[in-house]
Amino acid sequence: MSATAARRRHGRRRAHARRPSGGRGWTEAHVRRLFWRAGFGATPAEARRWARRGKAATLDHVVNGPPGGARVRGPAPRVEQRPLDPLNEWGDDVLWWLDRMIRSTHPLQEKLTLFWHDHFATADQDTPLMLAQNRMLRANALGSFRELLGAVTRDPAMQLFLSLADSTKDAPNENYARELMELFTLGSGYSERDVREAARALTGYTADWHDDGTVTIKYDAGQHDDGVKTLLGRRGRLGVDDVLDLVTAHPNHAPFLVGKLWSFFVATPPSRATLRALVATYRGSGLRIEPVVRQILAHPQLYRGLDAPDMVKCPVVFLAGAMRTTGTYVTQDYPTWLLELMGQLPFSPPSVAGWDWGAAWMSSNAMRQRFVAGNHVVQYGRPRPRKGAAPASLTPQEAYARAWRAVGEPRVSAATRATLTHLAARFFDDIDARWRDQADWRADALQWTLRHLLLTCPDAQLH
Amino acid sequence: MVARRTGSLLLALLLLLAVLTASAADARRRPPTTSVGVAAREFRFSAYRTSAPGGIVRFNVANFGEDGHDLVVETAGGRRVGRTGEVRSGRRATLALRLRPGTYRLVCDLADHAARGMRTSFRVTR
Repeated sequence: MSATAARRRHGRRRAHARRPSGGRGWTEAHVRRLFWRAGFGATPAEARRWARRGKAATLDHVVNGPPGGARVRGPAPRVEQRPLDPLNEWGDDVLWWLDRMIRSTHPLQEKLTLFWHDHFATADQDTPLMLAQNRMLRANALGSFRELLGAVTRDPAMQLFLSLADSTKDAPNENYARELMELFTLGSGYSERDVREAARALTGYTADWHDDGTVTIKYDAGQHDDGVKTLLGRRGRLGVDDVLDLVTAHPNHAPFLVGKLWSFFVATPPSRATLRALVATYRGSGLRIEPVVRQILAHPQLYRGLDAPDMVKCPVVFLAGAMRTTGTYVTQDYPTWLLELMGQLPFSPPSVAGWDWGAAWMSSNAMRQRFVAGNHVVQYGRPRPRKGAAPASLTPQEAYARAWRAVGEPRVSAATRATLTHLAARFFDDIDARWRDQADWRADALQWTLRHLLLTCPDAQLH
Repeated sequence: MVARRTGSLLLALLLLLAVLTASAADARRRPPTTSVGVAAREFRFSAYRTSAPGGIVRFNVANFGEDGHDLVVETAGGRRVGRTGEVRSGRRATLALRLRPGTYRLVCDLADHAARGMRTSFRVTR
Protein backbone atom coordinates (compact mmCIF):
# COMPACT_ATOMS: atom_id res chain seq x y z
CA MET A 1 0.00 0.00 0.00
CA SER A 2 1.37 3.40 -0.91
CA ALA A 3 1.69 6.21 1.60
CA THR A 4 -1.14 8.07 -0.05
CA ALA A 5 -3.40 5.03 -0.01
CA ALA A 6 -2.60 4.37 3.64
CA ARG A 7 -3.39 7.97 4.52
CA ARG A 8 -6.63 7.75 2.59
CA ARG A 9 -7.63 4.55 4.34
CA HIS A 10 -6.88 5.83 7.82
CA GLY A 11 -8.51 9.12 6.91
CA ARG A 12 -11.62 7.33 5.65
CA ARG A 13 -11.95 5.48 8.92
CA ARG A 14 -11.51 8.63 10.94
CA ALA A 15 -14.08 10.40 8.81
CA HIS A 16 -16.43 7.46 9.24
CA ALA A 17 -15.90 7.58 12.99
CA ARG A 18 -17.56 10.99 13.01
CA ARG A 19 -20.14 10.39 10.28
CA PRO A 20 -23.69 9.85 11.52
CA SER A 21 -24.82 6.46 10.33
CA GLY A 22 -27.49 4.39 12.08
CA GLY A 23 -29.33 7.21 13.77
CA ARG A 24 -29.23 10.96 14.08
CA GLY A 25 -25.68 11.83 15.08
CA TRP A 26 -24.84 8.28 16.17
CA THR A 27 -21.30 7.46 15.05
CA GLU A 28 -18.54 4.95 15.71
CA ALA A 29 -17.08 7.47 18.16
CA HIS A 30 -20.33 7.41 20.14
CA VAL A 31 -20.29 3.61 20.16
CA ARG A 32 -16.70 3.56 21.36
CA ARG A 33 -17.48 6.03 24.15
CA LEU A 34 -20.49 4.00 25.25
CA PHE A 35 -18.70 0.65 25.07
CA TRP A 36 -15.77 1.95 27.12
CA ARG A 37 -17.90 3.61 29.77
CA ALA A 38 -20.38 0.74 30.01
CA GLY A 39 -17.81 -2.01 29.54
CA PHE A 40 -14.28 -2.59 28.37
CA GLY A 41 -14.15 -0.98 24.93
CA ALA A 42 -15.36 -1.77 21.43
CA THR A 43 -13.61 -3.79 18.77
CA PRO A 44 -13.54 -2.20 15.29
CA ALA A 45 -16.26 -4.62 14.16
CA GLU A 46 -18.48 -3.70 17.12
CA ALA A 47 -17.97 0.01 16.52
CA ARG A 48 -19.00 -0.33 12.88
CA ARG A 49 -21.94 -2.66 13.55
CA TRP A 50 -23.52 -0.62 16.33
CA ALA A 51 -22.94 2.71 14.61
CA ARG A 52 -25.12 1.34 11.80
CA ARG A 53 -27.80 0.08 14.18
CA GLY A 54 -28.38 3.43 15.90
CA LYS A 55 -28.44 4.69 19.46
CA ALA A 56 -31.62 3.02 20.74
CA ALA A 57 -30.67 -0.44 19.47
CA THR A 58 -27.14 -0.04 20.80
CA LEU A 59 -28.37 0.96 24.26
CA ASP A 60 -30.75 -2.00 24.32
CA HIS A 61 -27.88 -4.30 23.42
CA VAL A 62 -25.53 -2.80 26.01
CA VAL A 63 -28.05 -2.70 28.85
CA ASN A 64 -30.02 -5.89 28.24
CA GLY A 65 -27.18 -8.04 26.97
CA PRO A 66 -27.75 -10.78 24.42
CA PRO A 67 -31.01 -12.73 24.37
CA GLY A 68 -30.73 -15.74 26.63
CA GLY A 69 -28.33 -14.07 29.05
CA ALA A 70 -24.63 -13.41 29.30
CA ARG A 71 -22.14 -15.97 28.04
CA VAL A 72 -18.40 -16.04 27.59
CA ARG A 73 -16.96 -16.63 24.14
CA GLY A 74 -13.46 -17.33 22.93
CA PRO A 75 -10.76 -19.55 24.34
CA ALA A 76 -10.96 -20.48 28.02
CA PRO A 77 -8.21 -18.97 30.17
CA ARG A 78 -5.06 -20.97 30.83
CA VAL A 79 -1.85 -20.09 32.62
CA GLU A 80 1.29 -21.98 31.68
CA GLN A 81 -0.92 -24.48 29.87
CA ARG A 82 -3.04 -25.26 32.94
CA PRO A 83 -6.67 -24.25 33.49
CA LEU A 84 -7.34 -21.68 36.19
CA ASP A 85 -7.77 -22.84 39.77
CA PRO A 86 -9.22 -19.72 41.48
CA LEU A 87 -9.43 -21.35 44.90
CA ASN A 88 -5.99 -22.83 45.19
CA GLU A 89 -3.63 -20.79 43.01
CA TRP A 90 -2.86 -17.24 44.10
CA GLY A 91 -4.13 -14.68 41.67
CA ASP A 92 -6.26 -17.10 39.68
CA ASP A 93 -9.36 -15.53 41.24
CA VAL A 94 -8.31 -12.23 39.69
CA LEU A 95 -7.60 -13.88 36.33
CA TRP A 96 -10.97 -15.64 36.47
CA TRP A 97 -12.82 -12.35 36.81
CA LEU A 98 -10.59 -10.53 34.31
CA ASP A 99 -11.35 -13.31 31.82
CA ARG A 100 -15.06 -12.66 32.26
CA MET A 101 -14.50 -8.97 31.55
CA ILE A 102 -12.62 -9.89 28.39
CA ARG A 103 -14.94 -12.60 27.09
CA SER A 104 -18.41 -11.76 28.44
CA THR A 105 -21.16 -11.02 25.94
CA HIS A 106 -22.66 -8.63 28.51
CA PRO A 107 -19.79 -6.37 29.60
CA LEU A 108 -22.07 -3.93 31.46
CA GLN A 109 -22.87 -6.70 33.92
CA GLU A 110 -19.15 -7.11 34.67
CA LYS A 111 -18.64 -3.35 34.83
CA LEU A 112 -21.43 -2.99 37.37
CA THR A 113 -20.11 -5.97 39.32
CA LEU A 114 -16.91 -3.94 39.57
CA PHE A 115 -18.94 -0.90 40.67
CA TRP A 116 -20.67 -2.90 43.43
CA HIS A 117 -17.37 -4.52 44.46
CA ASP A 118 -16.09 -1.00 45.07
CA HIS A 119 -19.35 0.24 46.64
CA PHE A 120 -19.70 -2.74 49.00
CA ALA A 121 -15.94 -3.08 49.34
CA THR A 122 -14.94 -6.30 51.10
CA ALA A 123 -11.45 -7.72 51.58
CA ASP A 124 -9.30 -10.12 53.57
CA GLN A 125 -11.81 -12.94 53.48
CA ASP A 126 -11.46 -16.54 52.37
CA THR A 127 -11.33 -17.02 48.60
CA PRO A 128 -14.50 -19.18 48.41
CA LEU A 129 -16.40 -16.42 50.21
CA MET A 130 -15.07 -13.66 47.97
CA LEU A 131 -15.92 -15.65 44.85
CA ALA A 132 -19.42 -16.31 46.18
CA GLN A 133 -19.86 -12.60 46.90
CA ASN A 134 -18.70 -11.80 43.38
CA ARG A 135 -21.34 -14.13 41.93
CA MET A 136 -23.97 -12.53 44.14
CA LEU A 137 -23.02 -9.02 43.03
CA ARG A 138 -23.14 -10.11 39.38
CA ALA A 139 -26.55 -11.74 39.77
CA ASN A 140 -27.96 -8.54 41.32
CA ALA A 141 -25.90 -6.02 39.35
CA LEU A 142 -28.80 -4.50 37.40
CA GLY A 143 -31.76 -5.53 39.51
CA SER A 144 -33.43 -4.13 42.63
CA PHE A 145 -31.13 -2.23 44.98
CA ARG A 146 -33.21 -3.27 47.97
CA GLU A 147 -32.74 -6.95 47.06
CA LEU A 148 -29.03 -6.39 46.45
CA LEU A 149 -28.73 -4.71 49.85
CA GLY A 150 -30.48 -7.64 51.50
CA ALA A 151 -28.13 -10.09 49.79
CA VAL A 152 -25.07 -8.03 50.78
CA THR A 153 -26.25 -7.81 54.39
CA ARG A 154 -26.52 -11.62 54.57
CA ASP A 155 -23.39 -12.26 52.50
CA PRO A 156 -20.84 -14.27 54.52
CA ALA A 157 -17.80 -12.30 53.33
CA MET A 158 -19.44 -8.99 54.23
CA GLN A 159 -20.78 -10.33 57.52
CA LEU A 160 -17.29 -11.37 58.55
CA PHE A 161 -15.55 -8.27 57.14
CA LEU A 162 -17.74 -5.83 59.07
CA SER A 163 -18.31 -8.03 62.11
CA LEU A 164 -22.03 -8.44 61.62
CA ALA A 165 -21.68 -12.17 62.18
CA ASP A 166 -21.69 -12.87 65.90
CA SER A 167 -22.99 -9.40 66.75
CA THR A 168 -25.31 -10.22 69.63
CA LYS A 169 -27.88 -8.46 71.76
CA ASP A 170 -25.37 -8.41 74.61
CA ALA A 171 -22.57 -6.95 72.48
CA PRO A 172 -23.95 -5.34 69.32
CA ASN A 173 -21.20 -4.44 66.85
CA GLU A 174 -21.71 -1.08 65.10
CA ASN A 175 -19.38 -1.60 62.12
CA TYR A 176 -21.95 -2.76 59.61
CA ALA A 177 -24.67 -0.37 60.79
CA ARG A 178 -22.28 2.58 60.41
CA GLU A 179 -21.07 1.68 56.91
CA LEU A 180 -24.60 0.76 55.87
CA MET A 181 -25.59 4.38 56.37
CA GLU A 182 -22.36 6.21 55.63
CA LEU A 183 -21.09 4.31 52.58
CA PHE A 184 -23.82 2.02 51.27
CA THR A 185 -27.07 3.99 51.35
CA LEU A 186 -27.14 7.54 52.77
CA GLY A 187 -23.85 9.39 53.10
CA SER A 188 -25.43 11.81 55.55
CA GLY A 189 -28.70 12.56 57.35
CA TYR A 190 -28.38 10.13 60.24
CA SER A 191 -27.10 10.38 63.81
CA GLU A 192 -24.83 8.37 66.07
CA ARG A 193 -27.96 7.20 67.85
CA ASP A 194 -29.32 5.87 64.55
CA VAL A 195 -26.11 3.87 64.14
CA ARG A 196 -26.41 2.38 67.61
CA GLU A 197 -30.09 1.57 67.20
CA ALA A 198 -29.51 0.00 63.79
CA ALA A 199 -26.71 -2.10 65.26
CA ARG A 200 -29.17 -3.44 67.87
CA ALA A 201 -31.73 -4.20 65.17
CA LEU A 202 -29.12 -6.05 63.09
CA THR A 203 -28.05 -8.44 65.86
CA GLY A 204 -28.67 -12.20 65.72
CA TYR A 205 -26.42 -13.51 62.94
CA THR A 206 -23.93 -16.24 63.75
CA ALA A 207 -21.17 -17.78 61.66
CA ASP A 208 -20.80 -21.54 61.35
CA TRP A 209 -17.42 -22.32 59.78
CA HIS A 210 -16.56 -25.36 57.67
CA ASP A 211 -13.07 -26.79 57.14
CA ASP A 212 -13.05 -25.92 53.42
CA GLY A 213 -13.15 -22.18 54.07
CA THR A 214 -16.88 -21.77 53.55
CA VAL A 215 -19.16 -20.49 56.25
CA THR A 216 -22.87 -20.68 56.85
CA ILE A 217 -24.49 -17.56 58.24
CA LYS A 218 -27.42 -18.43 60.47
CA TYR A 219 -29.95 -16.24 62.18
CA ASP A 220 -30.37 -17.00 65.86
CA ALA A 221 -33.43 -15.24 67.22
CA GLY A 222 -32.11 -15.84 70.71
CA GLN A 223 -29.14 -13.54 69.97
CA HIS A 224 -31.29 -10.82 68.44
CA ASP A 225 -32.17 -7.72 70.44
CA ASP A 226 -35.96 -7.67 70.14
CA GLY A 227 -36.43 -4.57 72.28
CA VAL A 228 -37.94 -1.31 71.08
CA LYS A 229 -35.60 0.90 69.01
CA THR A 230 -35.93 4.28 67.36
CA LEU A 231 -34.29 4.51 63.95
CA LEU A 232 -34.50 7.45 61.53
CA GLY A 233 -37.65 8.67 63.29
CA ARG A 234 -39.41 5.29 63.36
CA ARG A 235 -40.05 3.51 66.66
CA GLY A 236 -40.76 -0.17 67.14
CA ARG A 237 -39.32 -3.65 67.64
CA LEU A 238 -37.23 -3.25 64.53
CA GLY A 239 -35.41 -6.13 62.84
CA VAL A 240 -32.98 -6.54 59.96
CA ASP A 241 -35.40 -5.93 57.11
CA ASP A 242 -36.90 -2.93 58.91
CA VAL A 243 -33.44 -1.34 58.97
CA LEU A 244 -32.90 -1.96 55.27
CA ASP A 245 -36.37 -0.66 54.40
CA LEU A 246 -35.85 2.48 56.47
CA VAL A 247 -32.45 3.42 55.03
CA THR A 248 -33.61 2.89 51.44
CA ALA A 249 -36.79 4.92 52.08
CA HIS A 250 -34.78 7.81 53.57
CA PRO A 251 -34.91 10.98 51.41
CA ASN A 252 -31.10 11.03 51.11
CA HIS A 253 -30.81 7.52 49.74
CA ALA A 254 -31.91 8.01 46.13
CA PRO A 255 -29.77 11.13 45.44
CA PHE A 256 -26.81 9.44 47.17
CA LEU A 257 -26.92 6.24 45.14
CA VAL A 258 -27.91 7.79 41.84
CA GLY A 259 -25.15 10.39 42.18
CA LYS A 260 -22.58 7.68 42.81
CA LEU A 261 -23.75 5.66 39.81
CA TRP A 262 -23.56 8.79 37.65
CA SER A 263 -19.98 9.51 38.69
CA PHE A 264 -19.00 5.94 37.76
CA PHE A 265 -20.01 6.60 34.16
CA VAL A 266 -19.60 10.37 33.67
CA ALA A 267 -16.65 12.47 34.82
CA THR A 268 -18.49 15.77 35.22
CA PRO A 269 -21.26 16.16 37.82
CA PRO A 270 -24.91 16.09 36.75
CA SER A 271 -27.02 19.23 36.69
CA ARG A 272 -29.70 19.52 39.36
CA ALA A 273 -32.37 18.79 36.77
CA THR A 274 -30.55 15.65 35.64
CA LEU A 275 -30.14 14.46 39.22
CA ARG A 276 -33.83 15.09 39.90
CA ALA A 277 -34.80 13.13 36.80
CA LEU A 278 -32.56 10.21 37.76
CA VAL A 279 -33.92 10.19 41.30
CA ALA A 280 -37.47 10.16 39.93
CA THR A 281 -36.62 7.22 37.68
CA TYR A 282 -35.01 5.32 40.54
CA ARG A 283 -37.89 5.86 42.95
CA GLY A 284 -40.52 5.36 40.26
CA SER A 285 -39.06 1.99 39.31
CA GLY A 286 -39.10 0.72 42.89
CA LEU A 287 -35.35 1.28 43.43
CA ARG A 288 -34.27 -0.67 40.36
CA ILE A 289 -30.76 -0.10 39.05
CA GLU A 290 -31.23 -0.88 35.36
CA PRO A 291 -33.52 2.06 34.46
CA VAL A 292 -31.15 4.53 36.13
CA VAL A 293 -28.11 3.11 34.37
CA ARG A 294 -29.94 3.15 31.05
CA GLN A 295 -30.84 6.80 31.58
CA ILE A 296 -27.23 7.70 32.43
CA LEU A 297 -25.89 5.83 29.41
CA ALA A 298 -28.35 7.65 27.14
CA HIS A 299 -27.54 11.08 28.57
CA PRO A 300 -25.90 13.58 26.16
CA GLN A 301 -23.35 14.51 28.84
CA LEU A 302 -21.82 11.04 28.55
CA TYR A 303 -21.00 11.76 24.90
CA ARG A 304 -19.44 15.19 25.37
CA GLY A 305 -15.90 15.70 24.08
CA LEU A 306 -15.65 12.54 21.98
CA ASP A 307 -12.30 13.81 20.71
CA ALA A 308 -11.10 14.76 24.19
CA PRO A 309 -12.12 12.12 26.77
CA ASP A 310 -12.03 13.25 30.38
CA MET A 311 -12.41 10.04 32.36
CA VAL A 312 -9.35 8.14 33.61
CA LYS A 313 -9.54 4.41 33.02
CA CYS A 314 -9.13 2.57 36.28
CA PRO A 315 -6.41 -0.13 36.09
CA VAL A 316 -8.89 -2.98 35.66
CA VAL A 317 -10.64 -1.22 32.78
CA PHE A 318 -7.30 -0.19 31.25
CA LEU A 319 -6.00 -3.76 31.18
CA ALA A 320 -9.24 -5.65 30.51
CA GLY A 321 -10.03 -3.10 27.80
CA ALA A 322 -6.62 -3.41 26.14
CA MET A 323 -7.01 -7.19 26.10
CA ARG A 324 -10.64 -7.25 24.99
CA THR A 325 -10.30 -4.72 22.18
CA THR A 326 -7.19 -6.40 20.80
CA GLY A 327 -8.54 -9.96 21.00
CA THR A 328 -6.05 -10.94 23.68
CA TYR A 329 -6.98 -13.68 26.16
CA VAL A 330 -5.70 -14.78 29.55
CA THR A 331 -2.70 -17.03 28.91
CA GLN A 332 -0.26 -15.66 31.50
CA ASP A 333 -0.44 -14.53 35.10
CA TYR A 334 0.94 -11.03 34.50
CA PRO A 335 -2.46 -9.31 34.92
CA THR A 336 -2.60 -10.25 38.60
CA TRP A 337 0.69 -8.76 39.70
CA LEU A 338 0.44 -5.81 37.35
CA LEU A 339 -3.04 -4.90 38.59
CA GLU A 340 -1.67 -4.93 42.11
CA LEU A 341 1.20 -2.66 41.09
CA MET A 342 -1.19 -0.40 39.18
CA GLY A 343 -3.21 0.02 42.39
CA GLN A 344 -6.37 -2.01 41.80
CA LEU A 345 -6.21 -5.67 42.71
CA PRO A 346 -9.74 -7.09 42.51
CA PHE A 347 -10.90 -8.83 45.70
CA SER A 348 -8.49 -6.63 47.67
CA PRO A 349 -9.89 -3.09 47.91
CA PRO A 350 -7.80 -0.96 50.28
CA SER A 351 -10.63 -0.33 52.75
CA VAL A 352 -14.38 -0.50 53.22
CA ALA A 353 -14.54 2.82 51.36
CA GLY A 354 -13.21 1.13 48.22
CA TRP A 355 -10.64 2.63 45.88
CA ASP A 356 -9.91 6.29 45.19
CA TRP A 357 -10.99 6.99 41.61
CA GLY A 358 -10.22 9.58 38.96
CA ALA A 359 -6.81 11.20 38.82
CA ALA A 360 -5.79 9.24 41.93
CA TRP A 361 -5.09 6.28 39.63
CA MET A 362 -2.34 8.19 37.86
CA SER A 363 0.54 8.07 40.31
CA SER A 364 3.97 8.00 38.71
CA ASN A 365 4.54 4.37 39.70
CA ALA A 366 1.09 3.25 38.58
CA MET A 367 1.63 4.88 35.19
CA ARG A 368 4.97 3.12 34.88
CA GLN A 369 3.22 -0.19 35.52
CA ARG A 370 0.62 0.60 32.86
CA PHE A 371 3.55 1.01 30.49
CA VAL A 372 4.81 -2.43 31.53
CA ALA A 373 1.31 -3.88 31.08
CA GLY A 374 1.23 -2.60 27.50
CA ASN A 375 4.46 -4.47 26.82
CA HIS A 376 2.93 -7.69 28.10
CA VAL A 377 -0.20 -7.31 26.00
CA VAL A 378 1.97 -6.86 22.90
CA GLN A 379 4.30 -9.70 23.84
CA TYR A 380 1.70 -12.31 24.78
CA GLY A 381 -1.40 -11.10 22.99
CA ARG A 382 -2.76 -10.75 19.50
CA PRO A 383 -0.91 -7.44 18.82
CA ARG A 384 2.42 -9.32 18.84
CA PRO A 385 4.08 -8.50 15.51
CA ARG A 386 4.81 -11.42 13.23
CA LYS A 387 8.40 -11.46 12.11
CA GLY A 388 8.76 -9.82 8.71
CA ALA A 389 5.06 -9.02 8.39
CA ALA A 390 5.70 -5.27 8.29
CA PRO A 391 8.71 -4.86 6.00
CA ALA A 392 11.12 -1.97 6.15
CA SER A 393 9.88 -0.81 2.76
CA LEU A 394 6.62 0.46 4.33
CA THR A 395 6.23 4.22 4.53
CA PRO A 396 5.95 5.74 8.01
CA GLN A 397 2.22 6.20 7.44
CA GLU A 398 1.80 2.58 6.39
CA ALA A 399 3.81 1.36 9.37
CA TYR A 400 1.69 3.45 11.72
CA ALA A 401 -1.58 2.31 10.11
CA ARG A 402 -0.53 -1.33 10.41
CA ALA A 403 0.23 -0.92 14.10
CA TRP A 404 -3.01 1.00 14.67
CA ARG A 405 -5.07 -1.78 13.10
CA ALA A 406 -3.19 -4.42 15.10
CA VAL A 407 -4.21 -2.84 18.41
CA GLY A 408 -7.90 -2.59 17.61
CA GLU A 409 -8.05 0.81 15.89
CA PRO A 410 -8.21 2.85 19.12
CA ARG A 411 -9.11 6.51 19.30
CA VAL A 412 -5.87 8.44 18.78
CA SER A 413 -5.53 12.21 18.85
CA ALA A 414 -4.03 14.00 15.85
CA ALA A 415 -1.04 15.03 17.97
CA THR A 416 -0.27 11.45 19.04
CA ARG A 417 -0.69 10.18 15.50
CA ALA A 418 1.69 12.83 14.20
CA THR A 419 4.23 12.00 16.92
CA LEU A 420 4.12 8.28 16.20
CA THR A 421 4.33 8.78 12.45
CA HIS A 422 7.32 11.02 13.01
CA LEU A 423 8.88 8.31 15.16
CA ALA A 424 8.30 5.81 12.34
CA ALA A 425 9.93 8.21 9.87
CA ARG A 426 13.07 8.56 12.01
CA PHE A 427 13.31 4.96 13.18
CA PHE A 428 15.81 3.96 10.51
CA ASP A 429 17.93 7.12 10.57
CA ASP A 430 21.04 5.37 11.85
CA ILE A 431 20.93 2.83 9.02
CA ASP A 432 22.62 3.61 5.72
CA ALA A 433 19.93 4.48 3.17
CA ARG A 434 21.24 1.78 0.82
CA TRP A 435 20.44 -0.91 3.39
CA ARG A 436 17.19 0.43 4.70
CA ASP A 437 14.88 -1.74 2.59
CA GLN A 438 16.70 -4.81 3.88
CA ALA A 439 16.34 -3.79 7.54
CA ASP A 440 13.21 -5.82 8.27
CA TRP A 441 14.52 -6.62 11.75
CA ARG A 442 14.36 -2.92 12.52
CA ALA A 443 10.86 -2.71 11.01
CA ASP A 444 9.79 -5.46 13.41
CA ALA A 445 11.15 -3.39 16.29
CA LEU A 446 9.24 -0.40 14.97
CA GLN A 447 6.00 -2.38 15.04
CA TRP A 448 6.65 -3.52 18.64
CA THR A 449 7.31 0.09 19.59
CA LEU A 450 4.31 1.58 17.83
CA ARG A 451 1.90 -1.03 19.12
CA HIS A 452 3.18 -0.64 22.65
CA LEU A 453 2.94 3.13 22.49
CA LEU A 454 -0.56 3.03 21.02
CA LEU A 455 -1.68 0.87 23.95
CA THR A 456 -0.05 3.08 26.58
CA CYS A 457 0.03 6.62 25.19
CA PRO A 458 -1.90 9.39 26.99
CA ASP A 459 -4.94 8.79 24.73
CA ALA A 460 -5.08 5.18 25.91
CA GLN A 461 -5.38 6.21 29.56
CA LEU A 462 -8.69 8.01 29.07
CA HIS A 463 -12.10 7.03 27.81
CA MET B 1 23.03 -49.73 -1.30
CA VAL B 2 19.33 -50.32 -0.68
CA ALA B 3 20.18 -52.37 2.40
CA ARG B 4 22.37 -49.54 3.71
CA ARG B 5 19.56 -46.98 3.21
CA THR B 6 17.07 -49.26 4.94
CA GLY B 7 19.50 -49.67 7.80
CA SER B 8 19.91 -45.90 8.16
CA LEU B 9 16.17 -45.43 8.17
CA LEU B 10 15.75 -48.09 10.83
CA LEU B 11 18.47 -46.50 12.91
CA ALA B 12 16.76 -43.07 12.68
CA LEU B 13 13.42 -44.61 13.67
CA LEU B 14 15.02 -46.36 16.61
CA LEU B 15 16.63 -43.13 17.75
CA LEU B 16 13.31 -41.31 17.48
CA LEU B 17 11.60 -44.06 19.43
CA ALA B 18 14.29 -43.86 22.11
CA VAL B 19 13.81 -40.09 22.45
CA LEU B 20 10.02 -40.42 22.68
CA THR B 21 10.27 -43.20 25.23
CA ALA B 22 12.68 -41.16 27.32
CA SER B 23 10.31 -38.15 27.27
CA ALA B 24 7.38 -40.30 28.30
CA ALA B 25 9.46 -41.85 31.06
CA ASP B 26 10.49 -38.38 32.23
CA ALA B 27 6.88 -37.32 32.38
CA ARG B 28 6.03 -40.47 34.33
CA ARG B 29 8.91 -39.91 36.74
CA ARG B 30 7.91 -36.28 37.35
CA PRO B 31 5.53 -36.37 40.31
CA PRO B 32 2.19 -34.60 39.88
CA THR B 33 1.94 -31.20 41.54
CA THR B 34 -1.25 -30.18 43.29
CA SER B 35 -1.85 -26.72 44.72
CA VAL B 36 -3.82 -26.32 47.92
CA GLY B 37 -5.09 -22.94 49.03
CA VAL B 38 -4.89 -22.54 52.81
CA ALA B 39 -6.28 -19.58 54.76
CA ALA B 40 -5.10 -18.84 58.28
CA ARG B 41 -6.90 -16.63 60.78
CA GLU B 42 -7.59 -16.54 64.51
CA PHE B 43 -7.92 -19.41 65.19
CA ARG B 44 -8.75 -21.52 62.23
CA PHE B 45 -7.18 -23.12 59.15
CA SER B 46 -9.26 -23.53 56.02
CA ALA B 47 -7.85 -25.82 53.35
CA TYR B 48 -9.67 -25.33 50.05
CA ARG B 49 -8.74 -28.86 49.07
CA THR B 50 -8.91 -31.58 51.69
CA SER B 51 -6.96 -34.17 49.73
CA ALA B 52 -4.44 -34.47 46.92
CA PRO B 53 -2.80 -37.31 45.01
CA GLY B 54 0.66 -38.40 46.13
CA GLY B 55 3.45 -36.25 44.71
CA ILE B 56 4.35 -32.61 45.13
CA VAL B 57 1.77 -30.73 47.18
CA ARG B 58 2.13 -26.96 47.13
CA PHE B 59 0.41 -25.28 50.07
CA ASN B 60 -0.38 -21.64 49.18
CA VAL B 61 -0.93 -20.07 52.59
CA ALA B 62 -2.63 -16.68 53.06
CA ASN B 63 -2.82 -15.12 56.50
CA PHE B 64 -6.14 -13.24 56.74
CA GLY B 65 -5.76 -12.84 60.49
CA GLU B 66 -4.30 -10.11 62.65
CA ASP B 67 -1.57 -12.23 64.30
CA GLY B 68 1.34 -14.03 62.72
CA HIS B 69 0.79 -17.72 61.92
CA ASP B 70 2.71 -20.57 60.38
CA LEU B 71 1.78 -23.81 58.68
CA VAL B 72 3.39 -27.01 59.84
CA VAL B 73 2.69 -30.26 58.03
CA GLU B 74 3.01 -33.38 60.19
CA THR B 75 2.39 -37.05 59.62
CA ALA B 76 -0.37 -38.72 61.61
CA GLY B 77 2.38 -39.96 63.91
CA GLY B 78 3.53 -36.42 64.64
CA ARG B 79 6.69 -36.34 62.47
CA ARG B 80 7.21 -32.87 61.03
CA VAL B 81 7.43 -32.89 57.23
CA GLY B 82 7.69 -29.14 56.58
CA ARG B 83 7.04 -25.64 57.92
CA THR B 84 6.48 -22.29 56.25
CA GLY B 85 8.08 -20.05 58.82
CA GLU B 86 5.98 -17.31 60.37
CA VAL B 87 3.59 -15.64 57.95
CA ARG B 88 2.75 -12.15 59.11
CA SER B 89 -0.72 -10.64 58.94
CA GLY B 90 -1.80 -9.99 55.35
CA ARG B 91 1.16 -11.92 53.92
CA ARG B 92 1.44 -15.14 51.97
CA ALA B 93 3.83 -18.07 51.84
CA THR B 94 4.24 -21.27 49.88
CA LEU B 95 5.31 -24.63 51.21
CA ALA B 96 6.00 -27.30 48.58
CA LEU B 97 6.44 -30.84 49.87
CA ARG B 98 6.74 -34.28 48.33
CA LEU B 99 4.07 -36.26 50.16
CA ARG B 100 3.33 -39.96 50.11
CA PRO B 101 -0.18 -41.34 50.51
CA GLY B 102 -1.45 -41.07 54.06
CA THR B 103 -3.10 -38.71 56.49
CA TYR B 104 -1.35 -35.53 57.54
CA ARG B 105 -2.05 -32.79 60.07
CA LEU B 106 -1.86 -29.10 59.24
CA VAL B 107 -1.19 -27.07 62.37
CA CYS B 108 0.03 -23.66 63.45
CA ASP B 109 2.75 -24.22 66.03
CA LEU B 110 3.00 -20.61 67.20
CA ALA B 111 2.03 -20.05 70.84
CA ASP B 112 -1.16 -21.96 71.65
CA HIS B 113 -2.72 -21.45 68.22
CA ALA B 114 -3.11 -25.16 67.47
CA ALA B 115 -4.84 -25.76 70.78
CA ARG B 116 -7.17 -22.85 70.06
CA GLY B 117 -8.30 -24.39 66.78
CA MET B 118 -5.60 -23.93 64.12
CA ARG B 119 -5.34 -27.57 63.12
CA THR B 120 -6.96 -29.61 60.41
CA SER B 121 -6.27 -32.86 58.62
CA PHE B 122 -5.22 -33.44 55.03
CA ARG B 123 -5.27 -36.67 53.09
CA VAL B 124 -2.87 -37.73 50.36
CA THR B 125 -4.24 -40.44 48.12
CA ARG B 126 -2.55 -42.92 45.78
